[in-house]
Amino acid sequence: MPAARSFGPDPWRQTQWDARAAANFICGGAGGGLVAFTALAQPQPATQVVLTLFGLLLVGSGLTAVWFELGRPWRAFNVFRNPATSWMSRESYAAVALFIAGGAVLLKVPGASWIAGVVALCFVYCQARMLQSARGIPAWRAPATMPLLVITALAEGAGFYWFAALWHRGGSMKLLLAFAVLIMLRYGAWLVHNRQLRGNARASAGLARPGQLLLLAGTLAPLALVLLLAALPMSMHAQFVLAAFAGILVLVTGAKLKYALVLRASFNQGFALPVMPVRGVRAGK
Amino acid sequence: MTRWSMVADLRRCVGCQTCTAACRHANATPPGVQWRRVLDIEQGEYPDVKRAFVPVGCQHCDEPPCLDVCPTKATKKRADGIVTIDYDACIGCAYCAVACPYQARHRTLRAEFAYGRATAPETARLDEARLAVATKCTFCVERIDDGLAQGLRPGIDPEATPACVNSCITQALAFGDLDDPQSNVSQLIAKNQHFRMHEELGTGPGFYYLWDKT
Amino acid sequence: MDTTGTRRVPTYCYQCVAGPDLLTVKVVDGVATEVEPNFCAAEVHPGGGKVCVKAYGLVQKTYNPHRITTPMRRTNPKKGRDEDPGFVPIAWDEALDLVCAKLNGVRERGLTDESGYPRLAVSFGGAGTPQSYMGTFPAFVAAWGPVDMGFGSGQGVKCYHSEHLYGEFWHRAFTVSPDTPTTEYLISCGANVEASGGVVGVWRHANARIRGMKRVQVEPHLSVTGACSAEWVPIRPKTDAAFLFALIHVLLHEIPRARLDVAFLGRHTASPYLVGPHGYYLRDPATRKPLLWDAASQRAVAYDTPGISEALEGRYEADAIEIGADDEVLAEGRLSGETSLQKLVAHMAIYTPEWAQDICDVEAATMRRIANEFIDHARVGQTIDIDGVTLPWRPVAVSLGKTVNNGWGGYECVWARTMLAALAGALEVPGGTLGTTVRLNRPVTARIDSVTPGPDGFMAYPLNPTDKARWSPKPNIRNAYRTMVPLAANGPWSQALGPTHFSWMFLDETPKGLPRVTFPDVWFVYRTNPAISFWDTDALGDKMARFPFTVAFAYTHDETNHFADLLLPEATDLESLQLIRIGGSKFVEQFWDVQGFALRQPAVETQGDARDFTAIATELARRTGLLEPYNKAINKGGGGVPLQGAHGDFSLDAATAHSPEVIWDAVCRAASMEVSDGREQHGLDWWKEHGLATKPFPRVNWYLYPELARQGLRFELPYQERLQRVGVELGRRLHEHDMHWWDTQLTEYQALPPGKDFSLPWRASLVAMGGAPDDYPFWLLTARSMQYAWGANVGMQLIKEVADNIAGHRGVIINTAMAAKLGIADGDIVDIGTPKRSVRGRAVLRQGIRPDTLLLLGQFDHWATPFTRDFGVPSMNALTPMSLDLTDATGSGADIVRVRIGRADGTTPSGRGSARGVSA
Repeated sequence: MPAARSFGPDPWRQTQWDARAAANFICGGAGGGLVAFTALAQPQPATQVVLTLFGLLLVGSGLTAVWFELGRPWRAFNVFRNPATSWMSRESYAAVALFIAGGAVLLKVPGASWIAGVVALCFVYCQARMLQSARGIPAWRAPATMPLLVITALAEGAGFYWFAALWHRGGSMKLLLAFAVLIMLRYGAWLVHNRQLRGNARASAGLARPGQLLLLAGTLAPLALVLLLAALPMSMHAQFVLAAFAGILVLVTGAKLKYALVLRASFNQGFALPVMPVRGVRAGK
Repeated sequence: MTRWSMVADLRRCVGCQTCTAACRHANATPPGVQWRRVLDIEQGEYPDVKRAFVPVGCQHCDEPPCLDVCPTKATKKRADGIVTIDYDACIGCAYCAVACPYQARHRTLRAEFAYGRATAPETARLDEARLAVATKCTFCVERIDDGLAQGLRPGIDPEATPACVNSCITQALAFGDLDDPQSNVSQLIAKNQHFRMHEELGTGPGFYYLWDKT
Repeated sequence: MDTTGTRRVPTYCYQCVAGPDLLTVKVVDGVATEVEPNFCAAEVHPGGGKVCVKAYGLVQKTYNPHRITTPMRRTNPKKGRDEDPGFVPIAWDEALDLVCAKLNGVRERGLTDESGYPRLAVSFGGAGTPQSYMGTFPAFVAAWGPVDMGFGSGQGVKCYHSEHLYGEFWHRAFTVSPDTPTTEYLISCGANVEASGGVVGVWRHANARIRGMKRVQVEPHLSVTGACSAEWVPIRPKTDAAFLFALIHVLLHEIPRARLDVAFLGRHTASPYLVGPHGYYLRDPATRKPLLWDAASQRAVAYDTPGISEALEGRYEADAIEIGADDEVLAEGRLSGETSLQKLVAHMAIYTPEWAQDICDVEAATMRRIANEFIDHARVGQTIDIDGVTLPWRPVAVSLGKTVNNGWGGYECVWARTMLAALAGALEVPGGTLGTTVRLNRPVTARIDSVTPGPDGFMAYPLNPTDKARWSPKPNIRNAYRTMVPLAANGPWSQALGPTHFSWMFLDETPKGLPRVTFPDVWFVYRTNPAISFWDTDALGDKMARFPFTVAFAYTHDETNHFADLLLPEATDLESLQLIRIGGSKFVEQFWDVQGFALRQPAVETQGDARDFTAIATELARRTGLLEPYNKAINKGGGGVPLQGAHGDFSLDAATAHSPEVIWDAVCRAASMEVSDGREQHGLDWWKEHGLATKPFPRVNWYLYPELARQGLRFELPYQERLQRVGVELGRRLHEHDMHWWDTQLTEYQALPPGKDFSLPWRASLVAMGGAPDDYPFWLLTARSMQYAWGANVGMQLIKEVADNIAGHRGVIINTAMAAKLGIADGDIVDIGTPKRSVRGRAVLRQGIRPDTLLLLGQFDHWATPFTRDFGVPSMNALTPMSLDLTDATGSGADIVRVRIGRADGTTPSGRGSARGVSA
């Protein structure tokens, strides 16, 4: 017997996009953010190449994951057919552009990193708009979804950068400050998004735990770590360890948030009647 | 111009699911894929409770959210308002399915059968082109087009009318041209109070629900 | 059969009692693909030619891989639920040899056994619907001789039993319907027409709603019908009689008498009949006709005296005779009598809305308002023109549903309903409460023609005799309907309208006075599954296991044929041939403006080795030496139409075994001559192409009133003198044979029924089972499902899929607030139990149900039927006790039981291997 399915009227979780789609937002966002933050950081050329490569790998793995979700993967190139209105088409073009620009960075073409950074931002923006355009899912179509995803991506990129700093030993107080600002902005965007979901108990419930995690482990803890390493005297290594730890926290909580957004809070519109039908005569007649 | 639309009279509907079954037959959809289905909705608290049965499916919107998001242009909107899917272009990304506020789109990744293995009619009617792509109510567009070609009137002549409307045992479902003020649907809308589902989302559904006389 | 290209084959669906629906089957290259309405029938069909959701399951039914498509023989001699029958395929020859050897053995030993019961038993389900699929099998049964058709599978408890018997007694109403096209106000006590009224019922009520008909649904849960009503009154289960009594009280005691239809009461009912001191009519000493008081001449006259002015109320003296039971003269001379209406008024005085409100848990003000609305809408004095005949127009009606109109209280509810109609003059007139069909009176094909004069100015009714000379303690079949239930009559349907559970109950313990109830030597079963559909299903299964030889016409393996010795696969709905009557007025709400015939024909080749039922019947007749009486039975009308009549002789040669095509060709020819009044003769080929043919059926025939008026007959209301007499006589006969176990039932025979709380017997039954009432605080009820009712279609995936869109098809419905109190969440596995047994299922939380009520839709709980056994949805049938205490005087019970509910520890819903059946 085919599995029992439940159809309304109350909203139910969408089942069309699964973890593979979530992976695209998680990896794509972090990867795009990494390329962009790396462009901002302008580290050593070797670091630039490696971090950009990681960024591209992340984006690529996200796209690969979502490719596996396609019903008709061998027609995947049709995805480019509708850049006029579809943010998925646009994301695809942005991905191509990102790989070209990223490739240029890998080939150490001068100035390519800035272009790659901008294109990565575009890619992240397209992704964010893609989710927000899915109007069937109230938690996605909230206006704050776009800034939340973009800022989360940048914060994750920064997180990755600082995590990788354990190896590349780059960075500056300005970049650390930027990281801290992104962490705060991310939580701010989350709060706004959360407020926009007020009245949608199911979606809010789906995001409650990752939201809590975002506050404690994704915002307060990394900020404390950043503050600690900025304020207290400690060895360089200790500073990088703390920064890496903060980076990891930001990455993981961001991933968790996006996973929850795509899979847990993704209740659809459901059905509701503004008025009930009158059968025969109105009540009381 | 023509704007094909559907009307569901909620005063008439009893939730019998005949339209659901008829649609499954007419369109040979796999188990669980109901392009037309009827919801059972309760409102209020005991003892002040109301219950209504609400036919739903693709609303063939004026501004279909599924249309804009489709990356392949597989989803199209015809001049007569019918939203269609080109199964050969669709990549099965399901973006349209999550964009639709009416939960009208389905995607069946592999052939499914009522009793596990295919029966004779299921074998005969299996359409590989519809596997792993988006599918949804088409307003039985082939019947409309073929019917019009034969000079028939959709919504009146059964051969040119969506199967769900033909099957409805309460005359709750009606189909016709909203741009024709004399059509059955225009008359029903003119003479009755109505609403459209999730109208606030600005999708402009081509599906009207009657709930009382004017 | 041409198997190329696309064809649309006209046929019918009669899976449910509210049919038939006319449909076409689209066949592409020999494969059935789609069911559609027969649009050609839209002109003649009262439901727009539409076809019910159940018919859409027929394609899957045809190709279901679980079908049994070859005869099968049991190899495991042990029978039991846990025994694998070990069915093995055999050839038809072997199968028929096997069954006919048994049948011929029966014929050698004698058709009846030592107790006088038929050795052959046959059970059909679905309220007579199998007859539309079993071809000429009825002719075989007729040719056989005595057959016990009284092993029930739900009759009496799953049907509208009191309505069948009393309805037919009072107004030829085996089933009762509002005159929906013209009614304006309908009180519906649990009548779930949107689920059980079929296409026509649903169609008519949808139109009525749009027209502005107000329907008040009085029911413990918000059914689909309640949902589609203007008002829902959540009444306490099984207390509808008190509700209806309160309405009658308001009409009689709180509004001016003139607002009732006094003219109707005076002229068309027995209201003016004078009742004597012993409770029987005062009669003219010479003619023995009941007397009434003529206000014009101020004297008592016989009821049929021309030109009189009947006094409706008052006490009068007359020279009279009062005759009781067994023709006993109770009084003679100058006797004082009250009018029947006067008796009624006095009788109803105590049944105030305030009295009823504590019983029903409905506010007195609500009942008062509804009674007033009822009479406000009655349009007393107005007329309407039907077919050129001017008739009273009384657009108010009352309908009753299952569990309201059967079991204890059923009589009172049906009486009260019919009385409400009579008080408003709304009985059998346009807009009012109508009967739709007859099954106990003849002819079943023409309800109006069944109106014939009987005693005392009422219609004749074929009561089973209760007089000393003719009553017998030796029943003709095991359920003893002729002995115990006078109202069940003695026609072909009567066997199924007796206490059909007695056949089962008495197998192990026959009560005093009846011959020992025996197992039939051979039992045929078709389209019925008592092992899951009756009361106390586990006990039933145990008894089935002891039947010596059971032959099941089998579609798939199921819970009843699990106990069978032989499975015979019949060609199913889309594969076989039959012609049936359509139109006129039929079950539930089928009121047509035409009458005629429709053909069911093979749309596709038969799957496997299944055979057309007619071919099976013919072969059984041939091999048992009954070919001649079998063919003669067909000639007489066994195929639905007499083959010899005013319009020609199409009789079959009695000595030949004819093919189904030859038989149905003859039936088709006779039918086409009948429907064309002898003008056209069409054979099978014509019918296969056209599917149906009709002729007009005058709408005035929907109503009994004109015919009664024409014959000068009265409705036998309000006072039940005849039933009272019958009850006394029956009691005497039973007591003369030392039979006292029916005494409680005898109390039902009252001239004016007392109002009671009829939920009490079920509370008492709980105590009898060893339970404390406080521990079992819920009423468990069931309701029909539109997608399943009568359909025998539980194995259809499509039906399951679409039915699941409607709440309650996945589990037990419980009130949301009550569930919260009990810590039960939606989807939780719950345990529902009586002191004897428990079942498990998922909780479905809804607001639209009383907090003291639980609802299990349909009857699933299958443990053998493929596909269905995986539903995990329990049924109340396993919980409902089968007992004499819960059997009313008509032999019926009701679908209701007191239970407890709680969250189950495990996570497995009911089904094979679950907690089902575990004794507490």
